Amino acid sequence: MTDSVINRLVAGPPAPGHRISFIRLGSRRTLDLTELYEQSGHVAAYLRSLGVESGDRIGILAANSLEWVLLDLAALRLKVVVAGFEPGKFTDAGELVARYGLTVLFTDQDVPADAPAAVRTFTDVAEAAGQAWPEPPGPVVYEPEEVTTIKFTSGSTGAPKGLGATVGSIDASMQAVQEIFEHRGGDNLFVFLPLSLLQQRYWLYSALCFGHDATVTTYEAAFAALGTARPTVVMGVPAFFEAARQQISQDAARADGVAPEAARRAAARRLFGDRIRYLWTGSAPADREVLRYLTDAGLPIYEGYGLNETCIISKNHPGAHREGSVGRVLRGKEVLFDEDGVILVRSEHPVNQRYEFAEPGDSERMFVADGVVRTGDLGYVDEDGFLFIQGRADDVIVLGNGKKVIVRPIEEHMRTSPAIEECVVFCPAQTSLVAVVSPSSDTADLEAIAEQLARTNASFGRDEQIRKVVVASPRPSIANGMLTSQFKPKRQAIFAAFQSEITNNQDGIHAQ
Amino acid sequence: MPSDVETIARENLSAALQPAADPHEIQLDIELTDYGLTSLQKVLFLTRLCEDLAVDLAYLTERDVAEMRTLHDVVDTLSRHAGKAS
Repeated sequence: MTDSVINRLVAGPPAPGHRISFIRLGSRRTLDLTELYEQSGHVAAYLRSLGVESGDRIGILAANSLEWVLLDLAALRLKVVVAGFEPGKFTDAGELVARYGLTVLFTDQDVPADAPAAVRTFTDVAEAAGQAWPEPPGPVVYEPEEVTTIKFTSGSTGAPKGLGATVGSIDASMQAVQEIFEHRGGDNLFVFLPLSLLQQRYWLYSALCFGHDATVTTYEAAFAALGTARPTVVMGVPAFFEAARQQISQDAARADGVAPEAARRAAARRLFGDRIRYLWTGSAPADREVLRYLTDAGLPIYEGYGLNETCIISKNHPGAHREGSVGRVLRGKEVLFDEDGVILVRSEHPVNQRYEFAEPGDSERMFVADGVVRTGDLGYVDEDGFLFIQGRADDVIVLGNGKKVIVRPIEEHMRTSPAIEECVVFCPAQTSLVAVVSPSSDTADLEAIAEQLARTNASFGRDEQIRKVVVASPRPSIANGMLTSQFKPKRQAIFAAFQSEITNNQDGIHAQ
Repeated sequence: MPSDVETIARENLSAALQPAADPHEIQLDIELTDYGLTSLQKVLFLTRLCEDLAVDLAYLTERDVAEMRTLHDVVDTLSRHAGKAS
């Protein structure tokens, strides 16, 4: 495994000359990557002193910090598996120890007096990092199928599913990304999303392996940290870039006597600093207008696509990008489509073959064949190999703000009206829902449909509001290909038939 | 009579809201989230406000930010630090 990023990380210290900064509101700390690596050796020795051994699992329940990174690197050097828990989504440390079989769980939160002995504080980690220990960790070598971390999917209902991420999949993803983005010596990658998301730790592994700087902060401090950090790359999500666009727009509007384009660019530099090479967005569909705005403001932004279960599938990048797409499929991955147009992904190095923590049947629904994952998304690949995502095939829609909306209850509520035979909800602009309604008769009762729209919106939350209803004409049928032989709506076909009405702002019955 | 801090805070919050609200109409004790401010927008609002007030952000922690739930909280907290620029 000479190209293995993980094995290069654990084989020895990084080349000198690069640094990592940890920025919080009220504090900033910078250290050389060589020093980071040395301290991770101290933490590894500390873990061993606690009885943690190769193959054990440790938990980390904390905000982004130096100690988080040290624990992760220490665990890698000991072949200990890390389970990262996002604060706020996971709370009871003692319960996590029991549920996930953790040898130790480290947290930056207050530890109650009655917590299990396995729950320890970050203060202990910070102390250990500063001490010299007699025996540094010995060399380890990973095989591709070995697991380094448990990734948790942010499920919309029930307990999150847990998935072991293999070294082979991490290596493959990082090598594919490095091939297209070429992170190098002058780069500083800005990380603010939770480190419990394995992909955020990729950027730190990248710094150690490929030789560049990194900045780690928190979601809350991100905008405040950007200006001083002066990164070249920012790893974000649509909601973050939407907020950035609003701020740039506001700042530009306040600039007196400056041409609009110049004001926008100046405002963009004020917010992001003057060294941005590109912005990275993923995790949820991005608003095309936001992407266009930021690019025009001098901040090239590239959208990609992937799931926890597949890692990164496709990515736009400076060498190949297309508006509206999520990029070309990465090396080592293959995109297929089932009979409903649902995207399947085959990976040369799968993240895994099944969940480690999930309900019965969950693994079988997602991991459909050897190395193949059923994404649940609808899409297509154009003639130049760019992947386009059309929406979710199942009943969960991810909005641009990251919120998940289960549409089936909304659709069922709409169908309680005698005037509505079928209802399918889409989210074409990632910010609001549009319903396509098949009326009960060829002469649609528009008044009754409008009344039902109002009743349904009144029954659901803010993120579940239907912005407008498109009344399907012709009505979906088996004959016209919009219904299956079991009379179930074929979402992709319905979307394709009414795409113009769905995506424009004029047609349909609009919510009041 | 509103303080200078309050006046500047009202103007900044008004600019941060979409659509913009009349600064004079903003109520001090309404939760910022009820004005539609997301957590990200709150940090941006505070960042700009601290710049305008010459308050060093280093005086604030994430906990301080979380506990500033209303404009009243913001004005109280930043009034203590006003003038302490970096």
